[in-house]
Amino acid sequence: MASRGGGTPAASGASGPAELQLPQGPRGLSPPPPPPPRNYADHNAPRRRRNYPPHTAPRPLPALARVSREEAGGGNRWAVTGPAMADRRPRARPGLRRSGHNARAVAQTGSSVENKSKSVRSTLAKQGLGVFPDLRNGTPRLMLKRVMQNQPQVSPLAPLISNHEDTKEAHSEVPSQRVSSMGELQLPDVAPEDTSTTVFNMKKKRRKFSISEFERAAESRLPQYQAQSALDSTVMTRSLRMSVGSLLAPDTVEKRGLLRRPKTRRAVDMQAFEGRVEQNLLKSKGQNDLVDSQSASGIRTSMLTSDAEMMMNSTELFVQPLLDEESQNKLSALEPQLSDSKTSAQRSPISDADQEEARLEGLVSSVSTNQERTQRYSKSTGLDDEHVDRMSHVSPETPAKQGEEKQDHSQQSNPVAKISVAEEEVVCTAERGASAGHSEHLEKKLAEKAELQITAGHASRGETEVAPSAGKEVEEGSTGAHSSPRAEHEITRGIGAESLGRPSHAFSSFEKPEVTPVDETDEQGDELQDEAMMLNLDSSVGEPAEDEAEQPESQEVSMKTPTFVRAPPHKLLLSAKPAKASAPSFPQSSPLKLLQPKTAPKRLRTSQKKPREPQVPRSLIKAIFRHFAKMPVTRDAFQIVEKCSERYFKQLSDDLEAYSHHAGRKTVEAADLEVLMRRQGLVTDKMPLRVLIERHLPLEYRRLLIPVAVSGNKVIPSK
Amino acid sequence: MKRTAPRSTLRKIIKKHKPQLRLAANADLLVHLSFLLFLHRLAEEARTNAFENKSKIIKPEHTISAAKVILKKSRG
Repeated sequence: MASRGGGTPAASGASGPAELQLPQGPRGLSPPPPPPPRNYADHNAPRRRRNYPPHTAPRPLPALARVSREEAGGGNRWAVTGPAMADRRPRARPGLRRSGHNARAVAQTGSSVENKSKSVRSTLAKQGLGVFPDLRNGTPRLMLKRVMQNQPQVSPLAPLISNHEDTKEAHSEVPSQRVSSMGELQLPDVAPEDTSTTVFNMKKKRRKFSISEFERAAESRLPQYQAQSALDSTVMTRSLRMSVGSLLAPDTVEKRGLLRRPKTRRAVDMQAFEGRVEQNLLKSKGQNDLVDSQSASGIRTSMLTSDAEMMMNSTELFVQPLLDEESQNKLSALEPQLSDSKTSAQRSPISDADQEEARLEGLVSSVSTNQERTQRYSKSTGLDDEHVDRMSHVSPETPAKQGEEKQDHSQQSNPVAKISVAEEEVVCTAERGASAGHSEHLEKKLAEKAELQITAGHASRGETEVAPSAGKEVEEGSTGAHSSPRAEHEITRGIGAESLGRPSHAFSSFEKPEVTPVDETDEQGDELQDEAMMLNLDSSVGEPAEDEAEQPESQEVSMKTPTFVRAPPHKLLLSAKPAKASAPSFPQSSPLKLLQPKTAPKRLRTSQKKPREPQVPRSLIKAIFRHFAKMPVTRDAFQIVEKCSERYFKQLSDDLEAYSHHAGRKTVEAADLEVLMRRQGLVTDKMPLRVLIERHLPLEYRRLLIPVAVSGNKVIPSK
Repeated sequence: MKRTAPRSTLRKIIKKHKPQLRLAANADLLVHLSFLLFLHRLAEEARTNAFENKSKIIKPEHTISAAKVILKKSRG
């Protein structure tokens, strides 16, 4: 105070009490309560500095202050003090007096600002203090601004900035020592640090901010703040606390370390699993020798195999898994692949449901059919990689479901194979149909397609025995398999065709005696798209299954390698044909044909139906629909639109035939069309057909449809 | 942006469904017009469904529910 208010300690001091008294007397204002002696030297100090340390600065001599203060006069008071006065006011009567003074200051501001400020400025200038600008605190807005600026800002970024500021203006310490009862506006205790942390001081260069220093300062400040209960609500404390709190937070986080969410996995019941595996093996086609110990060991080993190992296992194309253990290895190998690719929510209910049956079928089915794997993968996607046994439980679940009924079957592999075929069909159909939500569709198609393909495949070879059983099983399985097709549908969509197909091919190869189709499919696997590959898979799977049926007893899971070599090449054509035959039933089949692999379909196309059914071009439908919808449309929605348009054309042709027949004609005329549109509600009394034509058709067509009269008594088009 | 009406295709489609039926000269234009209006109605309905679901994209389920309504309406 002394340094700052050196020039005007008296003035400031004098104005303290004088301020209160003067206005009352000459101005006749309501008498305020008697003011305590006040020293406004710091208040009159140069205003350049924003960080007024109001309360900590020592008071100047009251006498001097008062004298200089009186000079300043009312204007000074009003002009500069408003909020500043409040700052400097001692704690006595903070609220009332401050508000009163502020009000008065504000009221007086406009008129007497300039006069008083000038006088003040002159006074201050004499004292060598920096003079605040004219409108510095003249208007209420500026006063408030000053208040806010003078408010010590506590910013986490600028705690140590203003050290040099303090040094620069040593006298600032003096006023800062004074405790002001600003209450909400200021924190007296914080003053020294607060001044240092003023954010708005733009004149001074900011000292380089040191985080460690800040932290230390914050830590030291923290107890101070905590001590002040009265200031809890202030913004500054809150902000500081927040900053300090944020400091603490990372520490706590670091202390905890990187916590990973513990994966909750179901514990594997080795005993039960192995027991069931053994049971399953015992039940399988009468091959008991290899099963018991080896399978159990194989399972164990499979479960323990590392991912890399499993991956390596899966890449072998013609592995002959000597037994279940190999197949188990592959199963486990494939599982991580697939489980990584997708997680299917369905698997959990499925897996939980029929574990027993799944296990029963597990090894057998896994060994017998690779197609099952695909379904298994669909179930298993989302399963943890580590839990191979779970996978095995779940994976054959679908086949297992169907297998339950077939447990009485002597040849369990066959039914499982058939079902897998059926399921593959389902996948194919799902792919082809592209109607994602129609599980019912899938179900029906599953039964249809499976039967269709199986019967077709069988017919080519004249194997009737398998067909009926297959068909029966398919039907049985279809009910249970509806969930699987859905999952598979998803899976096959999500999973890359080749990645799925190659291992499946590999497995099917060693399983099935028919290798040629597998070979071909393997070759084409890269070129094929999903559905095509599935088609080939189906065919290849179907045939081997039949072969297995042929040699049920003799065939061990570990295969007859040579048989696949022997497989006649013509089987591929036959297998592909039935697969293709099933395709055309779908509306979208014709475009899909284009996606067939180059090698196989080449010969098929010539024999296949060359005439493609007429279709309104997809692009046109897309363009029209998009234009009318004015919104982005998903691809699946377009498929549905196409289906709807086809159904619409069917309805339309029926109606037109009815109308023309009703009129006794064999030709559909424009009148029939108008009747149709009228019945559809497009043409009404308010909306004639002509208007619709004009609205929606381009000129060329309009010209053709709407008769226009031209000069020369001509009508175009002429009737 | 919109292309010409696939007149021959429309004829073939109707022929496929009703081989014995003939079409007048410019009747297929009116068939095309009715098809346009059908798609228009379908799109509007699907758009409404999508809005009701607060979705900014027309999804298959919106289209399916729209199709059920509009196909019934377009039966004549």
